[in-house]
Amino acid sequence: MNIQYKKGVLELCVLSLLSKHDCYGYEISEYLSNHIDIADGTVYPILRKLKSEGLLTTYIQEESGGPPRKYYSITNLGREVYEKERKEYLDFARRIEILLEDDSNDKD
Amino acid sequence: MTRTEFLSKLADELRKNRIADADDILSEYEQHFAFKMADGFSEEEIAARLGDPAELALQFEITAQHKGSAGRKAAAITGLCFIDIFAGSFFVLLIAWEIVMAVFSLCNAVIAGCLFIGTSPWSLIPQIPYFPGAVFGVSFAALSILTATGCIYFAAFIRQLMRSYGRFHQNTIAAASGNAVLPSLAIYPRLPAKVNRRIRSAALISLVIFAACFVLGMIISMISSGALEFWHAWGWFGYNGIN
Repeated sequence: MNIQYKKGVLELCVLSLLSKHDCYGYEISEYLSNHIDIADGTVYPILRKLKSEGLLTTYIQEESGGPPRKYYSITNLGREVYEKERKEYLDFARRIEILLEDDSNDKD
Repeated sequence: MTRTEFLSKLADELRKNRIADADDILSEYEQHFAFKMADGFSEEEIAARLGDPAELALQFEITAQHKGSAGRKAAAITGLCFIDIFAGSFFVLLIAWEIVMAVFSLCNAVIAGCLFIGTSPWSLIPQIPYFPGAVFGVSFAALSILTATGCIYFAAFIRQLMRSYGRFHQNTIAAASGNAVLPSLAIYPRLPAKVNRRIRSAALISLVIFAACFVLGMIISMISSGALEFWHAWGWFGYNGIN
C-alpha cells in the first residue's frame, strides 16, 4: 500500500498506543511493524511530526544496564486530537467498507 | 548495509535536506540498532527493515516545512482585531438579550407572587378578584419557569459560542505563527444528557401549565365578572365599558 496513504493512519495508531501508556521509540516501532507492514524506519519521522505539532512530549529516563531511553508521552492536546480523529476514521472506514462490499456483491 | 553505513548515509541525506536536529534523529536510529541487535538481528537485516535512508530523510523534510513568519502573525492579529469589533458587539447583543430574558422571568415571578398574596403594589396590578387572580398567578409562575429554562440554555449557548470563538482566535494566531492548531469547538453547548432531559421536561411542563392556566383564568374571569370582556367589567383601562 502507498506510504503517504498509510501515514495518516499510522499517526492515529501511534496516538492510540501512547494514549494507553508512555513508550520509547523502539517499542512503538516494534508495535507497529508487528501489526502493519511498513519499513521500521518510518515511525521516527511520524513521532517527530507529532511532537512538533505538540501532540507528544518526550522525556529521558535512565535504564539500569543500558543507555538512557527517550520516552514519548501523549499530551492533553494529543488526547483531544486522538479522540476526534479516531471517531472520524472509524466512521470513514465503516462507510468505505459498506461501499466496497456493495461493489463485490454486484459482481456475483 | 551495515550500521555505520546506514547512519552515515542518513546523516548525509538529512544534511542535504537541511533538516534541523539531525543528531537527535540519528540517535533514535542508533538506539533502534542497539535494541534490535540485542534481540539477535544482524546489522544488514536491521538496515534493510528500516528502509532507504534517502526516503526516510525526505519524510522528515515534510514535517519541518511549515514555519510561520512574524509578518504573517502580525497580519493575522490585525485581521482578528477587526473581526473582534464585530464579534464583540454581537456578543454584547446576545448578553443583552440574556439579561432581558432574565428580567422578564423575574418580573413574571414577582407578578405571580403578588397575585398569590393578593396585593397590588402601587396599584400596578389591575383589580381582579382573588380566585381568578390566583389562577393567573399559576400561569405567570409557569411562564417564569419557562423563560428561566430558556435563560439557562441560552447562557450555556453564549458560553459555548464564546469558547468556540476563543478557540478560533487561538488557532488563527497559531496557524499564522506555524504552531500546532487545536481542533475547533462546536458552537452548540453539549450539556450532559441528564441536564438536557431536565431542562426539556421543565420547559414542556411549564409551557403546558402556562397555557392551560391562562385559558382557565380567562374563563373563570369571564364567569365571575359575568362579561365576555371582563377587563372592561373590572375597569382595567380606566372605564368600565358601559360609558
